[in-house]
Amino acid sequence: MARNVSYRDFDWLLFAFVLLICALGVVEIYSATYHTKFAGVHVKQMYWMATGIVAMFLVSVVDYQLLLENVHWMYLVSIASLLSVLVFGQKYLGARRWIKFPGGQHFQPSEWVKLILILAIAKYFADIRQRELSFFDLIKAGLLVGVPMLMVLAQPDLGTALTYMPIAVMGIYLGGLRAKHATIILLAAAMAMPAAWHVLKPYQRDRLTSFMQPEADRQGSGYQVIQSKIAVGAGGIWGRGFAKGTQTHGMFLPVPQTDFIFAAFAEEHGFVGAMGVLLLYFMVLMRLIQNAQTAPDRAGTFVVMGVVAVLTFHILINIGMVVGFMPVTGIPLPLMSYGGSSVLFTFLALGIVMNIRMRRFVN
Amino acid sequence: MAASNPGKDAQKRIYILAVVFALWALLICGRLVQLQVFDYGKLEQHAQRQQQRTIEVAPRRGLIFDRSGHELAMSIAVDSIFAVPSEIPDPNTAATLLAHILKLDPAEVRARFRASRTFCWVARKVDADASDRVRALNLRGVYFQKESKRFYPKRELAAQVLGYVGMDDEGLSGIEREFDDELRGQPGRMLISVDARKRWFGRVERQPEPGENVVLTVDQAIQYIAERELDNAIRENSAAAGTVIVENPHTGEILALANRPTFNPNLSKKIRPEELNNRAISDIYEPGSTFKLVTLSAAIDQHLTNPNELVDCQMGSIVVAGRRIHDWHPFGVMKVADVLAHSSDVGTIKIGLRLGDDRLYQYIRGYGFGSQTGIDLPGETRGMAKAVNRWSKISIGAISIGQEIGVSPIQLASMVSTIANDGVWTTPHIVAGTLEPRSTPQTVVFHPGDQHRVIARLTAAEMKQMMEGVVLRGTGRKALLEGYTTAGKTGTAQKVDPVTHTYSHTKYVTSFAGFAPVNNPAVVVVVILDSPITHGHEGGIVAAPLFQKVAQQVLEYMHVPHDLDIPKERQLLLASKSATEKDVAEGTPDRLGAPLDVAGAEQAALIQPSRPMPPSEPRDSGVEPVAAVTAEPLAMRSRPESKPAEAPVRVPSSGTVVLDVEQGGIVVPSFFGKPLRAAIEAAQNSGIELDAIGNGVAREQSPAAGSHVAAGARVEVRFEQ
Repeated sequence: MARNVSYRDFDWLLFAFVLLICALGVVEIYSATYHTKFAGVHVKQMYWMATGIVAMFLVSVVDYQLLLENVHWMYLVSIASLLSVLVFGQKYLGARRWIKFPGGQHFQPSEWVKLILILAIAKYFADIRQRELSFFDLIKAGLLVGVPMLMVLAQPDLGTALTYMPIAVMGIYLGGLRAKHATIILLAAAMAMPAAWHVLKPYQRDRLTSFMQPEADRQGSGYQVIQSKIAVGAGGIWGRGFAKGTQTHGMFLPVPQTDFIFAAFAEEHGFVGAMGVLLLYFMVLMRLIQNAQTAPDRAGTFVVMGVVAVLTFHILINIGMVVGFMPVTGIPLPLMSYGGSSVLFTFLALGIVMNIRMRRFVN
Repeated sequence: MAASNPGKDAQKRIYILAVVFALWALLICGRLVQLQVFDYGKLEQHAQRQQQRTIEVAPRRGLIFDRSGHELAMSIAVDSIFAVPSEIPDPNTAATLLAHILKLDPAEVRARFRASRTFCWVARKVDADASDRVRALNLRGVYFQKESKRFYPKRELAAQVLGYVGMDDEGLSGIEREFDDELRGQPGRMLISVDARKRWFGRVERQPEPGENVVLTVDQAIQYIAERELDNAIRENSAAAGTVIVENPHTGEILALANRPTFNPNLSKKIRPEELNNRAISDIYEPGSTFKLVTLSAAIDQHLTNPNELVDCQMGSIVVAGRRIHDWHPFGVMKVADVLAHSSDVGTIKIGLRLGDDRLYQYIRGYGFGSQTGIDLPGETRGMAKAVNRWSKISIGAISIGQEIGVSPIQLASMVSTIANDGVWTTPHIVAGTLEPRSTPQTVVFHPGDQHRVIARLTAAEMKQMMEGVVLRGTGRKALLEGYTTAGKTGTAQKVDPVTHTYSHTKYVTSFAGFAPVNNPAVVVVVILDSPITHGHEGGIVAAPLFQKVAQQVLEYMHVPHDLDIPKERQLLLASKSATEKDVAEGTPDRLGAPLDVAGAEQAALIQPSRPMPPSEPRDSGVEPVAAVTAEPLAMRSRPESKPAEAPVRVPSSGTVVLDVEQGGIVVPSFFGKPLRAAIEAAQNSGIELDAIGNGVAREQSPAAGSHVAAGARVEVRFEQ
């Protein structure tokens, strides 16, 4: 098999788009932080990227079939690591999300679990060969994603937990979801809403209400949404210019280097810049979908589409939040937002996509 | 092929997904267009509003100096207290504490805290004590900003001239308003940025530029003299209001401009409108007899009469256009000079009739009546000088004697200055110039304003002599100065009752306008008292003494050389006068009848000739020691040819002259046998003028020795070898 694998089949175009987005991200991180206590994180981000790119090439070498065959082991390890976070995890800002290694490195297992879940769901649905899914299949898929999701929710980390959902949804959708089942699931979800409301933490409820009515509490939880919209709008068509975003520099914009990096970018580079970034993301997603269509097998398609689901979810939610379409959830923008876990996850996911693409003519 | 693996259904579903993504991307695009293109202006403004607050940093307002550089208005730095409400942990407690110290309403302070997240004033320009107490509280979110507060170190002095300022240092009246642009300076800008962490930091964008300094022509000492004497006169006469103007007739410089009632500009909240009124320039009153100067000078200028022409004053009444106008006193035939001296209405009207409406009006306008003088103060009136085509038949009679016309005190001062300045009208000015805000010494060059000739030089000279006559033998005798020839004119006008629009029989405006010395006038002084009660209402009785006190002190202060020598006895008298100032309130004893008690004081002084009395020693009475001032070296230097006034201790050496307190006047000494120089000295000692004819020793004199003459009277002495 390996003898047919060549980096000529590596998706260099996709890689170029990805690097471009990363570069814009680094520049914006620099701009948003150079005068703050976070100054210098853009260098760290570049180290993360370099690590991510290396990891991507490494992952692309290992045959994804091998990964799929062993996915049940990996799934068990994921559950175990999530458990250990809940027990031994470092408490930071009221949530246990990180494990601190003896070397001093912090590790957030919930990011990696995403990757495992993509593989597990792909494997699960690829093995189901019938044309339409039975209700039992849906329950099993739901449990497969639901168990780790609940564990992440318990950390609590609503944002990350939510990102597991599109993996399941994408698998079910592509696997052949029947309209009847879809209706039942939606109804059940609707009925679960009030219960879920009680489960949500007060700050999470605030986020939701402030999304519905941001003006109701301008200084409180509606603040971030309003400030983000102001930042985007104040950019105008051409933007204020590099490192001239007053919303960003005046620290009105919350966390401009991570969750709200798109707002910071839109303020400094205006409509033109924001459209450019949007176009790049769109190109990346379309390229990924094309890779899914040309995947050598059903499992490959599912894996790539799983990656598409997670990335798309991140992009949609994050940009939607920035422009005021979505509630504030703390979901970063892949490739642009500062953060090692996010960068590593994205590049590893891309590595698996490359892996599949390089093997599209194999068999 | 690989494509067959996912199945057709999955392929279709992927396409659907792609379309959904595209739609989403389009939606985001639309949103970006909405936010960044259509709402750009609104959101951009919003961003600026929340991020920055530009506070104007008030510049230091320029100073106002008097002519010799004394500060009359200055700005001192005081604390203003402001709050950044979002930083205050407990706004209610903070508001209560602040309100207690600053004597504010706690609810109002709380309301201000709520009104803004980033900035609100708590109290502005608070005194040092309150600001220290607030500082001691050490409240979070409460800050201090230095602001400049206007301070008038001389309090009420020249209050209406200086005016006052509002909370933002904006000039609200007087010089502060008229020269607001110059004084104000360029405000600096402080950009206050507030970040989302609620940290407040200010950055001075532009340094404030201090305003220019304004230098007045006013001299604070002269102003002080004018105000003090005005205060005294108002108290003694129970007058309602009053004005004193001291002007340099040659340049139009206003040396003092005093008004009563007045206010303390430091306490701007307590100012009442009537105190704010600068009567000297904004009040209109009927001038009465002082206006006869206009009528007579016009007639003389037109060669229609001369000071020595005899006029029949018709024993007290004249009929003008069918209406009989009564004189205040029946006069018979007398010289035109005496018509002025005794202020005969009939005589003046007869001369006015010779002029006719047009020519009289022409001179009225020439003297500046009916238009603003152009003094650099706000709120000047034009007065009321109705156009000649609106005059009735009787108007010429009324206007000739200063009725049916409204003038302001400054217009009157300008008219008298015109006569004093040899017939040239000069714009009065109260601002000498402005100075750049530098600390290095600078000089202001004062340029007289517009000038135009109203009457011929000769006319002016004749008017001066006539006006001197008013003081020497007419209605203005109480205005007579020591050591200076004096000219002036009294005025008494009935006020028009605002209710009935007829002349009031109880309310008068009395005035005196004059100058000294006659031949080269140093100052014009105009005094006006509104509704004096205690001592009657005659200008000669009420206003003339005020003129005398102001003019005397001002001339001495200015070291104007005496053009009359004060006999040594008089100097002694004046010296003693300073101790008995209160007793001589009725009127300064002059050469025409000093009261007995003053003469007694003189006796006492004469008896103790060795009493040490150094000329420059300050008197504890606070009144200027006239004799001491005259004895200052500067006065001596400036007139070396005249016999210098000497210290009173040496007075009794020549005892030829005594004051005849019984009859009044001066006893003419005998000059017989004296050489010219000795005769002149004797004349000067007696306070009379010597007309010397010939050379050698005195042989004849007229009037004869021992006769009584008025002060300054001329004695003709013939000298032969």
